[in-house]
Amino acid sequence: MDPVYLDYAATAPVRPEVRAAMEPFADDVFGNPSSQHRWGRAASAALENARAEAAEALGVRPSEICFVRGGTEADNIALCGACRALGADGSHPSLVVSAIEHHAVLHTAERIAARGEAGLTLFDVTAEGDVDMDRIREGVSRGPALISCMWVNNETGIVLPIERMAELAEETGAQLHSDAVQAVGKAPVRPTDLPGLDLLTVSGHKIQGPKGTGLLFVRRGTPVEPLLHGGGQERALRPGTEDVAGAVGLATALRLAVEEQEREAVRLGELRDRLEARVAHGIDGVMVVGRDARRAPHVSNLGFEGVNPAMLLINLDLDGVAASGASACQSGSGKGSHVLEALYGDVDGRAHVRFSLGSGTDADQIDRAAAVTREVVSRLRAIS
Amino acid sequence: MSRVLVAMSGGVDSSVAAALLVEAGHEVIGVTMKTFCYSGTEDAGKTCCGLDGIVDARRVATALGIPHYVFDVEEDFTRDVIDDFVDEYANGRTPNPCVRCNSNTKFRDLLKRGRDLGCDRIASGHYVRIERDRDGRPMLARGLDPAKDQSYFLWGLPREMLPHLLFPVGELTKDEVRDRARALKLATAEKPESQEICFVPTGNYRDLLEKKLPAPHPALQPGPIVRADGTVVGRHAGFAGFTVGQRRGLGGGFAEPLFVLEVRPDTGEVVVGTREELERDRVTVGELNWHADSPEPGQRVRVQLRYRAPAVAAVVEELHGTLDLALEEPHAAVTPGQSAVVFDGERVLGGGRIVAAGVSAALAQR
Repeated sequence: MDPVYLDYAATAPVRPEVRAAMEPFADDVFGNPSSQHRWGRAASAALENARAEAAEALGVRPSEICFVRGGTEADNIALCGACRALGADGSHPSLVVSAIEHHAVLHTAERIAARGEAGLTLFDVTAEGDVDMDRIREGVSRGPALISCMWVNNETGIVLPIERMAELAEETGAQLHSDAVQAVGKAPVRPTDLPGLDLLTVSGHKIQGPKGTGLLFVRRGTPVEPLLHGGGQERALRPGTEDVAGAVGLATALRLAVEEQEREAVRLGELRDRLEARVAHGIDGVMVVGRDARRAPHVSNLGFEGVNPAMLLINLDLDGVAASGASACQSGSGKGSHVLEALYGDVDGRAHVRFSLGSGTDADQIDRAAAVTREVVSRLRAIS
Repeated sequence: MSRVLVAMSGGVDSSVAAALLVEAGHEVIGVTMKTFCYSGTEDAGKTCCGLDGIVDARRVATALGIPHYVFDVEEDFTRDVIDDFVDEYANGRTPNPCVRCNSNTKFRDLLKRGRDLGCDRIASGHYVRIERDRDGRPMLARGLDPAKDQSYFLWGLPREMLPHLLFPVGELTKDEVRDRARALKLATAEKPESQEICFVPTGNYRDLLEKKLPAPHPALQPGPIVRADGTVVGRHAGFAGFTVGQRRGLGGGFAEPLFVLEVRPDTGEVVVGTREELERDRVTVGELNWHADSPEPGQRVRVQLRYRAPAVAAVVEELHGTLDLALEEPHAAVTPGQSAVVFDGERVLGGGRIVAAGVSAALAQR
């Protein structure tokens, strides 16, 4: 059997259009965008075209796009930079963060709090995708506030109520950041529709762009202190000679992901439903995480009772199905998922697998993956 | 050919073991056990772990075209190996953590997970061989390279596990293993030997004891260094720093070289004496495990009392619960906590932990 890749939420292959768009920058368009001469001007034009392309895809201004070197970096700049700006007048900012954020946000928030640069309020999210608005309000009232709430959760696909957050932010004057790494291309992400949204993280490689690329949308007028200092590139928010090829690749990937979003969401949603129906067909003790929540179409987190999580994943891999445990960054660590713990409390005795679908996924792959999964789960249950 | 789970530490021996299994046509799955977190500080602890071994094992596995996984056994390893190590030193004994790890953690875990992964066999890069007894039952035997033989560390493997084990490098010398690794251009070919205990990479286990033992702990308190007759000849900074036979750390200025004879946790005394006083010819061994039928009283066996020490002739005096051995020649530095491994020629019959050592009336008179 040809192996089946169902780990698109971990990363996705670079699409041919992206590779083609990047090609010239490995060759004759090598200039530094800061240079005045023709080489520099060619690079600078390419960079600014990429910025315009990315801005258009998100419906924002080019000047609101800051190219960075990945989603983690964008999250760090957003949280640390906005908190420092909020605290610049000597006040003590309040950071209000969901308990199911990616570690790029969660660990950053914890470090900010540990350094005493802001107070930290974590708010819960239910398995239905509801948030504790009272707790958020309470957090926001503690000082000049920054809320950080992801758009789509990476481990479960659960869509968070970002519209309500944006309303609250507008009403209270709090700033709002959203890590939209898993949302772009899977859900309509239009910061213009949400005036309360100030900062937004996009990653390149999750949408078939190059790894090590990302952008931070910074709404005009939102103060953010840079974390790095240097030559003043990217409006001094992310100095360092620009990765022109990366920016071009990211912008191309973003444009295509947004163009195809509606169609792809329908297609992936059907495939995901097919996967969930077929995996659960004929075996007991299968749980669909976030079944009653609004979910992005590309992620299915399934829990299997009575199976060892590590052994389930390894057996799937050996039998040709690539999926992941909690999320790929932690799957070697053997530690439980903070997301599932936040949603359900104790997950002991259940093995969770995140299947995530993407451009290359088709019905045949889904059927094979479902058959292998059923077979492996039954086998492991029979041994134990 | 069968599906084999091979434990890859990231060293050259287990790299070559994996390569030999692949060459032999087995379906091989490489695993590295993550036993503890190297980045020991409290802050870094949460985000471990850039363990070199895991990285190297994965490079080799990928070059060999086999899958490689990491098993997290940190919890079991901490309880069964590190806590035992600390406890043994705190009680004046000298532990063998590698024996504990092989007996209690590594192979048990591998066998269990191997079953979950459909593997019939478990392999490692230990320098030991599997031989058959008269009835065709597998037994552990010394590795072919006497300088590398690791049978001393494997007596604790449960007997029922032996039919499932493969030790591909046991038939090779270390030089041959390196040559194979070079020929295959394995990333670990020139990797130096690991000498220290894996969870004490600095070699200074006192730091670990200070971290693990509740302060102030008697094992880490200053106490007297005495001769066998009770004469105080110096002070020490904690008896946990001493092992029987040790000469360093006693201070100088003695008329003749002095060695640690005994550590007395009850009184905090470290007893020292001459090389002659160090000799023992009676050994009591506990926590026994047998790979063959246990020996009978009166039976002559050979016993190895330290890693790299030669096996010596002994007679079984008694065996119930513990094993009492009479050594035919006196043996220097028989150390409580170390392993005593009983051999029949090259083959491991079994072993245990040394509980106590003594002298016969004849030796006492000498």
